[in-house]
Amino acid sequence: MEPKHIEMHAVRKSYRFFTLDDLSLELAPGEVMGFVGPNGAGKSTTLRLAMGLIAPDAGEIRVLGQPMPTAQAAAKREVGYVSADMHLLPNATLGWHMDFVKSIYPTWDDAYATTLVKRFNLRKEQNARSLSLGERIKAVLLLTLARRPRLLILDEPTTGLDPVARHEVISEFMDVLHDDSRSILFSSHNTVDVERISDRITFIDRGRLVESSNKEDFLDRWRRIQLQLPDGIELPALPNIVSRSQDGRFVTLVTDQFSEGFAALLGSHVREVQRMNLEEIFVANVMRHREVRGS
Amino acid sequence: MNVVTRKLIAKELHVNRWFVAIGSVAGVVSVLLSALNGTGFNVGALTWLTTIIAMGVMLAIYGIMNERKEHTLEFIMSLPLSISDYVLAKMIGLALCFFATWIISVAAALVLVFAKDSVPDGIAPYLVLLSVFMLANFGVVLCGMMHARTEAWSSATVIVTNMGVSIFMFTVGPMEGIREFMWGPAPVWNSAFWTVLGCELTVLLIAFILPFVFAARRRDFL
Repeated sequence: MEPKHIEMHAVRKSYRFFTLDDLSLELAPGEVMGFVGPNGAGKSTTLRLAMGLIAPDAGEIRVLGQPMPTAQAAAKREVGYVSADMHLLPNATLGWHMDFVKSIYPTWDDAYATTLVKRFNLRKEQNARSLSLGERIKAVLLLTLARRPRLLILDEPTTGLDPVARHEVISEFMDVLHDDSRSILFSSHNTVDVERISDRITFIDRGRLVESSNKEDFLDRWRRIQLQLPDGIELPALPNIVSRSQDGRFVTLVTDQFSEGFAALLGSHVREVQRMNLEEIFVANVMRHREVRGS
Repeated sequence: MNVVTRKLIAKELHVNRWFVAIGSVAGVVSVLLSALNGTGFNVGALTWLTTIIAMGVMLAIYGIMNERKEHTLEFIMSLPLSISDYVLAKMIGLALCFFATWIISVAAALVLVFAKDSVPDGIAPYLVLLSVFMLANFGVVLCGMMHARTEAWSSATVIVTNMGVSIFMFTVGPMEGIREFMWGPAPVWNSAFWTVLGCELTVLLIAFILPFVFAARRRDFL
């Protein structure tokens, strides 16, 4: 049986003003996990831990079955890592970079690389220093995708891209997913991108994992319910209410455990039941998490 | 040494090829300038010294500090290599780049000393000591940069090592066993020479070993 592509167990990483604590997550082969969190939540730290670029203070990390960071050289043969901050060698051309990466990875796919150059509207003669932000990210993606990695670790790869460039990049990720044995861990605070390609979502906030579940499960469970209460009627205490706001007789509830039974419990007071998008779920989830933790 | 490390060493040579070429030409031109008498000699000697020092500092700044500052390190570290592979590749790659300029400049200077009558051959040991000092100095800069995590520490390394050259000239030049033979007609390779050379080579060795003991074992590299 193929091992999990990423296994993190009780991982802890402390900095002076930030601690990533008790993080456990798993990414199965063929799975796309959207790793969503606000700025400074610990997304990049988690991804760097997975790449072996930093070592955990506690806990265990395995990538493609290899212990990290000790076996990072072996694991990284089949891992593609792209970060929004990543820059190429400023004085070398894209063509040189392609030859360089090709010389390291026997899995390099020349035809695919050429296709990506055209699709991303890049030129091999272009010096890395002269690349715009969008071109730079696309160039890094090209260098990563053309080596056909089994696991892609993407740290906010669409940050700063215009909508067209974002569409191109996301489409390329979706192409990768035609191969069931490849997986993606994709961090972002842009829930629209995450919602498009992920089949599993993990929320992180202030160094703690908030919740991890299938995307469909999130979208099915979370609802915003608007009620209109008759005069003198108080809403009874209800289970699984994430947030509640009231304006006179109008009450808005958010639940993370919606079911037909739950709606029946509220009876005829229900005016509207709304599905929530991932961004709304993310914000409500994070706010509840902060409330529970008292911060 | 694995394939990726070898590729990274080749990358250093490729990225710095113009740098090495310009440095080597500058080294030779400054020696030619030194062949002129009077002011030409002084200007040439100063340019020669500056070329070798600047070459070392620039290689360390562009090769290590800027790679970190400009996030190129993330790209390099995404390749299938360990931290110790990276340290090995950097140390060898940048050392080869520096060594190319250094050996050409030093050889040119020694040729000048032995070929030109107006320059006493006795200065050759001092020239060798000064040259090896700058090689060791480069090793210290490289070692410092490899361990420095902030720009401030990198700058401090550069400043301290630059001061080291002046300190060398003020201490080794007047040293007994060196001073009295410096302007003589023939080079004297005495115990004072070998002692200083031994110290320089020890510093060089330590500077090249330390990164493998500390930087290569770092748990966090970014």
